[in-house]
Amino acid sequence: MNKRSLAWILVCVLLSLATIVYFVNNPGGRMAARVLNYETIFQAYWQHILMVVIASAAAIIISVSLGVLITRPFFRRGAPVVDTVINVAQTVPSLAILALFFTYLGRGFNTAVFALLLYALLPILRNTSAGIQNISADIIEAAKGMGMSKLHVLSRIELPLALPVIMAGIRTSVVVTVGAATLASFIGAGGLGDLIITGLSVSRHTVVVAGGLLSALLAILLDQLLGGIEGYLKTK
Amino acid sequence: MIKLKYENLMKQFPGSDLQAVSELNMEVPEGEICILVGPSGCGKTTTMKMTNRLIEPSSGHIYIDGVDNREIDPIKLRLGIGYVIQEIGLFPHMTIAENVATVLVEKKWNKEEIRQRVDEMLELMGLDPEIYRKRRPSDLSGGQRQRVGVARALASNPPIMLMDEPFGAVDPITRARLQNEFLRLQEQMRKTIIFVTHDIDEAIKMGDRIAVMNQGKLVQFATPDELLSMPANEFVGNLVGGNRSIKRLNLIRVDEVELRKLTKLTVAHTRQQAAEAVENNPLNLAVVVDGQGKLLGLVSRSSLRHEGEQVKDLYTEVHDIVGLGSTLNDTLSIMLGYGDGFAVVVDREGKPLGAITVDDIFSAVKEDE
Repeated sequence: MNKRSLAWILVCVLLSLATIVYFVNNPGGRMAARVLNYETIFQAYWQHILMVVIASAAAIIISVSLGVLITRPFFRRGAPVVDTVINVAQTVPSLAILALFFTYLGRGFNTAVFALLLYALLPILRNTSAGIQNISADIIEAAKGMGMSKLHVLSRIELPLALPVIMAGIRTSVVVTVGAATLASFIGAGGLGDLIITGLSVSRHTVVVAGGLLSALLAILLDQLLGGIEGYLKTK
Repeated sequence: MIKLKYENLMKQFPGSDLQAVSELNMEVPEGEICILVGPSGCGKTTTMKMTNRLIEPSSGHIYIDGVDNREIDPIKLRLGIGYVIQEIGLFPHMTIAENVATVLVEKKWNKEEIRQRVDEMLELMGLDPEIYRKRRPSDLSGGQRQRVGVARALASNPPIMLMDEPFGAVDPITRARLQNEFLRLQEQMRKTIIFVTHDIDEAIKMGDRIAVMNQGKLVQFATPDELLSMPANEFVGNLVGGNRSIKRLNLIRVDEVELRKLTKLTVAHTRQQAAEAVENNPLNLAVVVDGQGKLLGLVSRSSLRHEGEQVKDLYTEVHDIVGLGSTLNDTLSIMLGYGDGFAVVVDREGKPLGAITVDDIFSAVKEDE
């Protein structure tokens, strides 16, 4: 992992801790203090991370596999159709997706993770398919002509060459998921959204700012973490 | 012995009325370079790609050592055939060493064997492994990339090679050098090579046999000499061009011509000795060599006008240098490039062997006809 990513991650962690300590000590009133204590904040933070990590990890596995699948020769003709579906699906607001799944699956953490996962799929799938499709046909043919098996063409040529594009999709997706996960509070899944929504409903700005800042810092932190992983994979 | 045999080969791509390749019959003997030449769309690349089954023929057969290539597993088939394509074929995300090792990795060689072989191949191609091993293709010049491409194809020592315009994307001087180096290697390797080009000069220079193709058909299959003296039809005649004597320059190499002798001087010789050597030489030239006998420069009448009493002050740099493997065409273009009427011929170590003049080139072509 490069020093720049590491520095960013460190800064985000320190700033998050500073934010928590500051708001617990300066809650801005007794009502806000009920929410702004270490126990509540850490629980919300932990739920948030859990939601994002589970939804993103599942989304990465599903999307990358699906992206590889739709770029295989037997599926090439279907690829434009999939692209269109992805692009249309991307326009549905995240809140609408949460609401939709709430109607069928009820309240709770699992519903939120499922909805977030579906929303996180799209950028990764789109980038995986674009990243692989944009590799020059000559390079693929060179690999085949030299006697590489299909699996090796994929693992040694296509995926490494598409890696920067795929990683860009994953980073976009994770950052969006961190933001969308704050809405999960509406369906009772907890997370940092609890702070924001509670703060809004009782008009306590300190609570809203604490929740907002922490989720923004989490988004930057995860983005840099993924950037670091990308750098590491490239040098391998 | 016949290594490759093309029998009634036909390819029609789906959705096309035209046959990309039709009724192709051709036999390539072992150890020869067979050039496929013709305008774009003539089917030469398609024919080449059918050899390692990147493209499957619509009908007909290709026999390798008497075995129909469609009975061989495509991966196994391709691992046994070296494949060189234009420079874009290098994998940009891999180092030079990883690129050269591609086929060896597929063949599951162990790491130490691969490391040794890669270094060996880079040295063979004139690329210092210490410098180039870890670099990426984007750090290399066009000529170096082509060399890596050839090294990659040769690494597993396959008996057959397919080369698709391997020296296409470089300047003419680099191309001539790469061609000469490759011909020198081929003298020792004796691979059976299918070589695709659209450049008839390259075809005449590199080929043991030339297959001229047009609109999917094999128009003429002959040695370069036959092609120049007896073009099968107007198409071949036009392709070969009007000035066939000039094309013939590509067929004759410097080592087939009797070279003119030059007296060798060292930097320690005196002005007196140098002047004598120059006056006694029919070309009024003498070469200066270092302790290892390598060419340093030339002493001529004009360079004798310099100040100084020893040869070290009296010689000038030589521009017109050709290797023994160069063709008369390469030699002539070097002479024309520098405006001198002669060129100094050196061996592989850079030791001067003699000189060749424009007149020598003219008479060599005349004798050949």
